Amino acid sequence: MTDPAPASTRSGAGRTLVAVYGVFALAASARSLVQLLTRADEAPVAYGLSALAGLVYIAATLGLAEIGPDPRRLAWGAVTFELVGVLTVGTLTVLDPGLFPDQTVWSSYGAGYGWLPLVLPFAGIAWLLHTRRTHGLRT
Amino acid sequence: MEGPLPLALVVASLAFAAVVLVYVALGRTPDWGLLGFAGVIEVGALVLLVVAATQVGGVDLHGGAAVTLFGYLLAALVVLPLGFAWSLAERSRGATAVLAVVALTEAFLVVRALQIWPS
Repeated sequence: MTDPAPASTRSGAGRTLVAVYGVFALAASARSLVQLLTRADEAPVAYGLSALAGLVYIAATLGLAEIGPDPRRLAWGAVTFELVGVLTVGTLTVLDPGLFPDQTVWSSYGAGYGWLPLVLPFAGIAWLLHTRRTHGLRT
Repeated sequence: MEGPLPLALVVASLAFAAVVLVYVALGRTPDWGLLGFAGVIEVGALVLLVVAATQVGGVDLHGGAAVTLFGYLLAALVVLPLGFAWSLAERSRGATAVLAVVALTEAFLVVRALQIWPS
């Protein structure tokens, strides 16, 4: 078994990364949809933020899976937004734990999700850089 | 959802993830044995969904809890086939590792469904 050329973001380790992003896309968007439909008035900002996170994960999944017209640009935009989002929301919720009445996926740097929300954008950026270096060099 | 089925599903999913990681370490591609193992888990997830649907009338699930419960159980039903479709399209260690990701997700989903179910 030989790993294919890493120029594609959805090949090799990228396939695993896309699967993890896919799980988060499904989890965050489904969860926020249920929250917004059943009790939007309780914590509109937190649930809206969860929905936004869900959209970012969907965008990152599609970009890394190379679906759409300009997937690499989409993936870069999504993982950058994701990194800024998890650092901003993480810092705000650590400084003021009562800021949001309910948890979001990025609260406390994603501690409620095994810190994966903090690790994922770094993994995504590292993978995008790695595949860019070898882009076009099929071995 | 009383009985040993949910716990058996969690244990089977974790065992499946462990077997997949051995496959990844050895550089082996998924075979029929692995597919059969996943098939058993998938049947278990389907039975769990049916059991929950027949028993849900007799328990106290208020608000969005029932929606969330069936959300988890439906997700537990689709995550393995989706993972296999994504994984089997390519032959690489990374593609095989996808199966470990979905198996761990499967275990997590059943645990969350168990936590919602009033005991």
